[in-house]
Amino acid sequence: MIRYVGRRLLQGAFVLWAAYTVSFLILYLLPGDAVSIMASGDEQNAVDPALVAKLRSEYGLDRPLHEQYVIALFKALQLDFGVSIKNGVAATQAVGEVLPETIKLAAAGFALAVLLGSALAIAASFSRNRWVRQLVAALPPLGIAVPTFWIGLLLLQFFSFRLRLFPALGNDGAQSLVLPALTLAIPTSAVIAQLLTRSLHQTLGEPYIEQIRAKGASDALIHFGHALRNAAIPTLTMLGILVGNLLAGAVVSETVFSRTGIGRLTVTAVNSRDIPVVQTLVVLAAAIFVITSLVVDLIYPLVDPRINTAARATA
Amino acid sequence: MTRATQPRLNRPRSLPAGPLRRPAAVVGLLGTAALLLSACGGGADAGTQQSADATPVSGGNLNFALSVDRGCIDPQQVGNNDAIAVARQTVASLTSQDPKSGEIVPWLAEKFESNADATSFTFTLRTGATFADGTAIDAASVKTNFEAIKALGAKASLGSTYLSDVSAITVKDPQTVVVDFSKPNAQFLQATSTFTLGLLSPSSASLSEADRCAGKFSGSGPFSVKSYAVDKEAVLERRAGYSWPASTNTNKGEAYLDTVTFKIIPEAGNRTGSLQSGQIDATAAISAADITLFNGNGFWNETRANPGVVYNLYPNESTPKLKETAVRQAISKAINREEITTTLLTEKDQPAKGVLSHTTPYFKDLSGLLAHDPDGARKLLEDAGWKEGADGVREKNGEKLAFKVTYWQSPKEVLELVQQQLKAVGVDLQLKFTTIADVTAAQAGKDYDFSYGNLTRSDPDVLRTVFASTTARGGSNLREKLPVDDTLGEQAAALDKDARQKLVDQGQEALIKDAHSIPLYELSTTISANEKVHGLAFEASSRLDFYDAWLSQ
Amino acid sequence: MSQQLLRDSPGPAADAAGAPDPGREKAGDPAAGAVQTSAPAAVGLEPAAHPAVARLARTARALLKSPGLVLAVLVIAVVILWAVIPGAFTHWPPDTGVPSARLKPPSAEHWFGTDSLGRDLFSRVVHGSATSLAATAVAVAVGLVAGSLLGLLAGFLRGWVDDAIMRVMDVLLAIPSLLLSLALITVLGFGTVNIAIAVGIASVANFARIMRAESLRVGSAVYVEAARSSGVRWHGILLRHVLPNAAGPVLALSALEFGMAVLSISSLSFLGFGAPPPAAEWGSLVAGGRDYLVAAWWLVTLPGLVIAAVVLATNRISHAFQDPERNRT
Repeated sequence: MIRYVGRRLLQGAFVLWAAYTVSFLILYLLPGDAVSIMASGDEQNAVDPALVAKLRSEYGLDRPLHEQYVIALFKALQLDFGVSIKNGVAATQAVGEVLPETIKLAAAGFALAVLLGSALAIAASFSRNRWVRQLVAALPPLGIAVPTFWIGLLLLQFFSFRLRLFPALGNDGAQSLVLPALTLAIPTSAVIAQLLTRSLHQTLGEPYIEQIRAKGASDALIHFGHALRNAAIPTLTMLGILVGNLLAGAVVSETVFSRTGIGRLTVTAVNSRDIPVVQTLVVLAAAIFVITSLVVDLIYPLVDPRINTAARATA
Repeated sequence: MTRATQPRLNRPRSLPAGPLRRPAAVVGLLGTAALLLSACGGGADAGTQQSADATPVSGGNLNFALSVDRGCIDPQQVGNNDAIAVARQTVASLTSQDPKSGEIVPWLAEKFESNADATSFTFTLRTGATFADGTAIDAASVKTNFEAIKALGAKASLGSTYLSDVSAITVKDPQTVVVDFSKPNAQFLQATSTFTLGLLSPSSASLSEADRCAGKFSGSGPFSVKSYAVDKEAVLERRAGYSWPASTNTNKGEAYLDTVTFKIIPEAGNRTGSLQSGQIDATAAISAADITLFNGNGFWNETRANPGVVYNLYPNESTPKLKETAVRQAISKAINREEITTTLLTEKDQPAKGVLSHTTPYFKDLSGLLAHDPDGARKLLEDAGWKEGADGVREKNGEKLAFKVTYWQSPKEVLELVQQQLKAVGVDLQLKFTTIADVTAAQAGKDYDFSYGNLTRSDPDVLRTVFASTTARGGSNLREKLPVDDTLGEQAAALDKDARQKLVDQGQEALIKDAHSIPLYELSTTISANEKVHGLAFEASSRLDFYDAWLSQ
Repeated sequence: MSQQLLRDSPGPAADAAGAPDPGREKAGDPAAGAVQTSAPAAVGLEPAAHPAVARLARTARALLKSPGLVLAVLVIAVVILWAVIPGAFTHWPPDTGVPSARLKPPSAEHWFGTDSLGRDLFSRVVHGSATSLAATAVAVAVGLVAGSLLGLLAGFLRGWVDDAIMRVMDVLLAIPSLLLSLALITVLGFGTVNIAIAVGIASVANFARIMRAESLRVGSAVYVEAARSSGVRWHGILLRHVLPNAAGPVLALSALEFGMAVLSISSLSFLGFGAPPPAAEWGSLVAGGRDYLVAAWWLVTLPGLVIAAVVLATNRISHAFQDPERNRT
């Protein structure tokens, strides 16, 4: 078990290193000199050559390539991703300051998504009425096909402007979290609903369910007592991807509702070509993915008795 | 003029946008400072006006929405209007400018004078004023501030240009400071009234640029920075014991508001919605389409045009096509300025009547030279040999009459409409709407046919800044030197008011007639607020002033 | 072993769940992939062992049985026609408006209403479909070509080349594709072509995985071994065996990626990184309408509806591609 965890940690570290390296290659070496891009980011007048030279030496871009990379990597190991060109604070600090806002949003969005998604899945498999089942089954594909920004704008238009139920500004207390979280939750809940419906269907077809049914268990007991728990397990494995979805959705949701967070930070950073911040965000996204995957891997054997770690480790 | 006269703030009209280009705000010498603003100004708009008669009460927090945050609220470094709205409140300046008359009046300097050729300025400071950290505002601190601004260089995009020709700053005694220039600098007094030459405590000068941007400075104004979270909000709190207001303010003691919270709300729809719902009390960034929602119904709007050079298409005359005077003139004739304001802006917005907006000192109405004349445009182009091609775009010697313009200013539809208007006479205007970073890059590389923008400054010297080929930047036209450059240079040195008026008129006419300037419309700012808000006004350089503002309970 | 695990890290349980292989089952679901992230498709879309032709034939048969699918095909057909012959669908010019007829609600004359410059919105949507579809096609083509090449290299050469390529792909999968696209745009600059390329690159890993899996599978098949031992050169094997066999799954993925690319491109346009005015890309039409949420609801609602319909339709079609049995639902 310990060896397994150790190996997974190593793999995670490798992915992070590689994410850093790939983003370094993309951001600092592709055409379009990073420094000129950054130096031109400010105010009205021409690129200031003195500023360019200063930035160049600050970022070590006057050195040979491999040296640049080693220096940058060494700094990154100490969580130094450079300084935001927007306001001169450390990129990690700029990201760290707004991260809690996004965590709140993502957590609320995820909770809503699980709720909505499970409700749909259960309705789809529980209902005896063919029409209800079909109607419910039609919703997830719809939820996946609609653009997130559009959902956000429609919610804003309807609940904020028409009905005046929720505030238009997404950064102002618990009530203002509702619409942004819902925007985030709709596509995610559609995915959850689909995954859950599928595995619920599968679980319900398994022999042990038949046995329980033969013993006279009610439909509700079968669903909630047995099938749902087992069906949820495969859904759990998608957690890494779902969390990635939430991050990407936050970019749009935070923009639509003028909410502070790493999503909006991403957009402003791309707009002002704030390369250190963009790189920090990319590595952060990879880190979140790695950690989620690791956690899922580790708790998986605990929730699914059919698997044990030893078996996996030698798989 | 029927418009309100109070000074007004320069801002992008709807979408989040970056800094407006607004270098120096300039007004002439002591004697000539009280200028023509009064000629065009006047009372406020009736009907939706905030009520001014009630007695101010103290207390409360005012929520104000800004559309953009560039990550800095240091008054000596910022250049965009949203940041200025925050920064202005934190500093007092040596002088103030009367929004109605344009006259320079005392603030921290109770007396000021210049020598005859405007190369030396002496300021006598009032006693008793202090910085937020408790140190006294004295002559030495003025010297420290001005030197620090010069040291900031390009980071102090506005202040460093005001001070670029300073040759010496001398502390005569604790209350007297003399600023000497290497050449006549008529604009300097007005510059001392601006936020960018507002005073910070000497200890703030030694802070890093980033710390100052983050609001860690100690100011001299009626509010100080309580907290600042980039891209989220900035909170200002009332400075206890403030008692050195400018004579242009009605308030004489501490500010009425306990706190002012500036919320960054990039989306226009969110700003409209939050003003309606009361999440914010006021903003200067409601989009034109929504502004009528706040005419009455528990709200008020107040609008004023920005002084300075109006929104212009600046032809790059280093390109062969735009070197042709007839082509430039035709483009100017093909533009229907009235249609721009009636279609895309508010009823209070005005089409350009000259290179300068009507709230600028020495303004002259030249709308006769800017009439919409598509037939005249076609004739000019025909005569110059530009014949219509198969796709409707004119061409000569196989070359298309097509032009690129890169811009970021909102509303972006303005140039889309101009594009339509030009298409009607066979000119293809190709637009690239992008970020400020990209626009700057394009301009630095001189890779454009037209640039687009305005420049706010309450002095006609702004013409020289923008157009003269003799300036460091080489002027927006990138052309060789022409007689008009001499005219513009002479007006900057002219001390006599009538002589200067004549030179300014002559310069403007030349710029328009030869279409070095293709003006479109006057940038304006509208404060939209709910009824509870009183006394929130524009100061002379069109920035917001929260010192007199109060909330009815 | 460690290599194997690492490769599967994006969908950690894909191989772990053992018995019923839920990972594979899930991943085969087009919808899961369509959400936006590339990862689900990457986990699986394990090739069905049918040649492309049979697949197409079945798809055609299934079409007739499923009204939903017919509708989806119709939607796509109409949108493609919009792009090719916009003039047949609307007589209004997309770029020239009548300023006095601005912000008019939908009517018989203006089906989708007019915008702030008095331009007909329906005409802009119709004319904009060329930009949107072209950008989407570029994105899918970039992903398809680059991803397939990489996957082919990895699966065919194996060894360290395989390791190197697939580890880079793992990293790409670890970053949400929208974020990856945004990072690429930071460097490439703005504009429709650039966002199309960025979206394409963000989907490379999905194609690489499929192609690698296919070439590994085909490469170890008995008849290929036989061909190899009878002296057929590698490029012969590639052209005659690997590519034709891999085409089916890769095309199915393309259909899926098409819908995702429409979403990604419109999202990036919405965020302001797309086409310059007056171009009428769908995402930028929605973005342009958001300043008029109060004044003109149609500016946001109707173009968004078109995007949703197109994505729904492509997802339905790719669904049919992959899993003909399920068409009847």
